[in-house]
Amino acid sequence: MNIRRVIPFSAAVLAAAVIATPAAIGADLSDVGFIDQAAIGALPQFTRANQEVAQYKSQLDGQFQAAIRGKSDADKSRIAGQYQQKFLDKQRQVLGPLFQKAQVAIAQVSSSKGLSVIVDKRIVVYGGQDITKNVEDLVNGSSAVAPPSSTPPPSEIGFVDQTQIDQVPKIKQANDDFVKFAQQRRADALKQMQGAKKDAQKQQQIFQDYQKTLTDQQNKTLKPLVDQTRDAMSKVAQNKHLILVVDKNDIIFGGTDITKDVQDALK
Amino acid sequence: MAGGCAHQPAVNDPNVRGIGYVRVDDVLKTHPLYGQLSQIQDAIDALGLNALGPGAVPQSQGDLARQTQELNRELQQAQARANQIIAQKQQDYARREQQAINAALASAGAGTNGNGTVQQMQGTAQQQAQAVTAQANANFQAYQQSVIAQDNAAVRRLQQQLSDRANAAYRQRATALQEQESQASLEISQQDAARRLDLRMKLGNLALSDADRKTYRDQLAALDKSESDKVAAMRKRDAQTLVAYQAQLHAQSENALRTQVAQIHAQTQSKLASRHNEVSQQVTAQIQGLQPQPVPSNLPQSTKDKIAQIDSQFKAQFKADAQKTVQQYQQTKADLDQQYAALQGADGSAGGAAGTKIAQLQHQRDDLYNKMVDQIKRDAAAVAAKRGLQVVFMNVNAAAGGIDLTDDVKKDIESLHQ
Repeated sequence: MNIRRVIPFSAAVLAAAVIATPAAIGADLSDVGFIDQAAIGALPQFTRANQEVAQYKSQLDGQFQAAIRGKSDADKSRIAGQYQQKFLDKQRQVLGPLFQKAQVAIAQVSSSKGLSVIVDKRIVVYGGQDITKNVEDLVNGSSAVAPPSSTPPPSEIGFVDQTQIDQVPKIKQANDDFVKFAQQRRADALKQMQGAKKDAQKQQQIFQDYQKTLTDQQNKTLKPLVDQTRDAMSKVAQNKHLILVVDKNDIIFGGTDITKDVQDALK
Repeated sequence: MAGGCAHQPAVNDPNVRGIGYVRVDDVLKTHPLYGQLSQIQDAIDALGLNALGPGAVPQSQGDLARQTQELNRELQQAQARANQIIAQKQQDYARREQQAINAALASAGAGTNGNGTVQQMQGTAQQQAQAVTAQANANFQAYQQSVIAQDNAAVRRLQQQLSDRANAAYRQRATALQEQESQASLEISQQDAARRLDLRMKLGNLALSDADRKTYRDQLAALDKSESDKVAAMRKRDAQTLVAYQAQLHAQSENALRTQVAQIHAQTQSKLASRHNEVSQQVTAQIQGLQPQPVPSNLPQSTKDKIAQIDSQFKAQFKADAQKTVQQYQQTKADLDQQYAALQGADGSAGGAAGTKIAQLQHQRDDLYNKMVDQIKRDAAAVAAKRGLQVVFMNVNAAAGGIDLTDDVKKDIESLHQ
């Protein structure tokens, strides 16, 4: 049950995605900081590392195609797992040290500025402190970055790991049921589409019906759970004297993790 | 997403601590460009419909060329096969007829070269030749009708294609102008945003004197009028541009139609002329093949009748047999024609494969979405600054405090575009 799409730090850096600029022109007195992950991902050392990983992936793709030729589905799946692991190992080997340096730099800047939380720049509309340049300077420096001596102060910004929330049994069950339902409806729609090969109007109608069926089912089975989850988050946040709750993927450093409390509230 | 709240606490309230948030998805729905965003999304969904059905995605130009060649090859093979079968049958029937006539003559004791029967046999041969010619003419007429029907269909298709193309170009230009209008409208309202907000805040002051209130209202009205005049002028200019563009597209389509229709007609005439020559040659060959050997003319009436009967019988058999082959060929050709038509249908939309079109639309949608979100963020920032907030978030999962700026931003966005 993904309430919305998010891009984790590593993914955003890997993809070097272009992200819209927030109007961060307001007051800078807040203990909330933010960072432009795309800018960090565009640093030369990250670009070089990404190229190396991409080149390795291209080699692996060729090997993988050769390895699965003529194999059964089960074998293909097993081989795919092996190649995926090889890729992840390489990624960890090449990018791991860079990520670690960046994380320490973020913690260091955060500590020196007395910030309680660092979030992704994409979710900041106004205010907050932009620490991108400070972090870039530390990452670009030749010497090792010293970790901060203190942990970040308690933050009024909470976060949840949505992937963990999705594992709460009743939510997982509802999600799984919906996926099955959607697959079945898709197969039905495909059959009907084949029957209406040359009738564009009928095809359009079939597609609209298909979409409506999914939306109705979503509203019936998933939406109540989404509402429950949101209420649970609000209540937990209130009890912990937090102001807002965001997704874990938007938190770069610090913040208050309330995932476990929300999971418990939903059980 | 967190819900809105009618009563908003103070910025320094312990439950706020200078933090605000805006529900961008909700504001988006009130944005004046939301309709356009939805339209693009609908277009993406409609194209997604093609992707849902296997084989519904148009084929590439390479595939079309390869399949067209294959169909041409099959058609040529079918023609050659039909011609060969008819020629073979013609020889067989002529040979068997001659044998039957010879047998009839022998049994009448006239030999095979009796002069008395020559004229009669020539008469029979003439009848046969006439029948062959009549059949050939009937076939040619059928072919002629078929080619002309194809010609007409091709012209209709061409008209439709040109009309579709012109309509698509017009729609594209209209959409582009509409986007420009919307963008310009946004920019104009953005330019006056600070002034408008200022006036609205002044008007919100309860202690305002009537005279001052009137002054501010007049200023606000003047601002509205100035903006709406600018936008109206732009719309008028764009409407004129569209009328001129439509006329231009019409003229272009007419020219293209005239040129291409002339080409189609020329091709049709060429096909008919070629077929006419071909038929003439075939008729000549068939007539020569059907002419029996000259026979004696002084045959008894019973023998003459017998020969005439044999001739009539073989002629009818040949005709029926040959007709079957012709029908088989025509059936094959009809099937191939259908496949050609199907291919041409695919060609009509192969220029932009569904995937490419979806990607283009997705790009267009993302561009528009980002522009709208950027504007919402700018407006939210302006509202936040006025409210004295320290930091404002978007995309929050839930809120236990803070100030929800969503309604303020919605009103601002709406008022900017009234």
